[in-house]
Amino acid sequence: MNKQVLKANQLSDYYNLCITYQRRNQYFRKGPLWLVCAIYLTVAILLIAILFPDLSRAQTEATSKSYRYSERELASRSYERYEVKPRTYPVFVRGGIPQREAVTLSPTAERIRRRKYLADSHWGLKFYDRLACTKCHPQQARNLHYIRAKITCRQCHGPEPIAGLSHYYSKMSSRRRHAFVCAKCHEGANRSFASYVNHEPNPAALSTRQSFPLLFYVFWMMAAIAVGTFAAFLPHAFMWGLREFLPDSFLSRLKNRFAGGRKQDGQD
Amino acid sequence: MARIKRFPPAQRVFHLLLMLSFLTQAATGLARLYIETNWGRSLASLFGGYNKTLTIHWWVGLFMLVLLGIHVLYVLIRIDWRRFPKSVYGPDSLLPRKEDLGQALQHVGWLLGIRQLPRFDRWGYWEKFDYLAVFWGITLLGITGVILYNPVFFSNYMPGWVLNVLLWVHRIEAVLAIVHVSTIHFFIGHLRRHNFPMDLAMFEGSVDLEKARHERPAWVERMEQEGNLHTSLVSRAPFPLRVVYYVYGFAIIICFFYLTVNAIANVGELLG
Repeated sequence: MNKQVLKANQLSDYYNLCITYQRRNQYFRKGPLWLVCAIYLTVAILLIAILFPDLSRAQTEATSKSYRYSERELASRSYERYEVKPRTYPVFVRGGIPQREAVTLSPTAERIRRRKYLADSHWGLKFYDRLACTKCHPQQARNLHYIRAKITCRQCHGPEPIAGLSHYYSKMSSRRRHAFVCAKCHEGANRSFASYVNHEPNPAALSTRQSFPLLFYVFWMMAAIAVGTFAAFLPHAFMWGLREFLPDSFLSRLKNRFAGGRKQDGQD
Repeated sequence: MARIKRFPPAQRVFHLLLMLSFLTQAATGLARLYIETNWGRSLASLFGGYNKTLTIHWWVGLFMLVLLGIHVLYVLIRIDWRRFPKSVYGPDSLLPRKEDLGQALQHVGWLLGIRQLPRFDRWGYWEKFDYLAVFWGITLLGITGVILYNPVFFSNYMPGWVLNVLLWVHRIEAVLAIVHVSTIHFFIGHLRRHNFPMDLAMFEGSVDLEKARHERPAWVERMEQEGNLHTSLVSRAPFPLRVVYYVYGFAIIICFFYLTVNAIANVGELLG
């Protein structure tokens, strides 16, 4: 009896032990811990990715205009309100003109000026896709970037649509030109550097006095110095050469002849 | 044939280096300016193309600025500081004096045959003009050149549109210098009857005493009165050396004429 009881107790203990091990083995048989963790993590990431797609870090800069502008404008130290927010008029195609520029000029000038504010400055031009830039802007091709460095218009002004210079998001806008255009080649270009006038007017032309007065006046000042130097010293050098080349008697004879001529006139 | 000392060796070396560096700058600069013409391209190809021409232009320009710095130091050392204000305004100085204006007018009168030849001292007014024009030219071209070499850096300290203006200043001043040297400076130094075919004073360092007595009587008389004329007398440079001077001088002249004539001939193609 005792033996049986004992056996029964031992058996139950044995069974308990077995069951414990069995459970443990069952548990372990599912796989090692790191694999289980990896599976759980993958499921969690997939869930997060499905439920919250905006958490993708790479998209943050591109989706937030204000963030991008504040980062780019660090160089120019310019945080004006209209840098971030559009003004009240619609920005696409039909642009508005600020009140201070709303004086109407000739119809053509008005049309051109209005185009400065368009998102697509060439909007509505007939046969536009068949024209080269220099067909309508021949003067703009006379600049050092185009002639010397062989840079095409597109490399700075970008692909279609080319925004007007005064459009908010135009990369040619004076506020961000240095970052979006100049710095592509001129590393570290700042806002001051971007004010270099690439499409330089003819410095000698009278119209430059209005558009670029310093260039006009400095050009003519330097030209005056050069012309003045030659006007003074070229005849001087020429006469000096002549004076040394001719014998002294030549001048004295010349003088006598003229003096003699005058004397004869007086006598008559 | 007694000769009188006029330029110490240091000044002759300065002039020699200035000739070489200025010729290089003129050739590389004109090659860049005329790169749209066939002549400009062939000139640039001598220096290895458009971009290498700029590299040479930059290094030689830097060399000229260093030369100017050394020359300023040299001038400061050579100034007689014990008789300071007087020595700078004296007849041996290259600074303009009141007499120079009168002499210039009198000289023009002599050219017209109505006045006597002025009694020039050591330096004529045209020589002072030449010397100070180089000072002004290297300073102006050097400053604008250094700024144009690194416009991104210098636009931190000035508006970027000043670069447009500086490029034109650099161009006009350079053209002025090149044309002035190859016409007026060469004419006075070589083609005048007095100096024909070449004034070797800047190479030999001395001038003929009789010639100097004729052209610069006040200088010779002043030295005779001070009693140091005999200490300034030197002998003529040996014949082979004079041949070298002639060859070197005429080579430089031919190069400058080549540049100037071609530059003028290609103006139409450049602007057209």
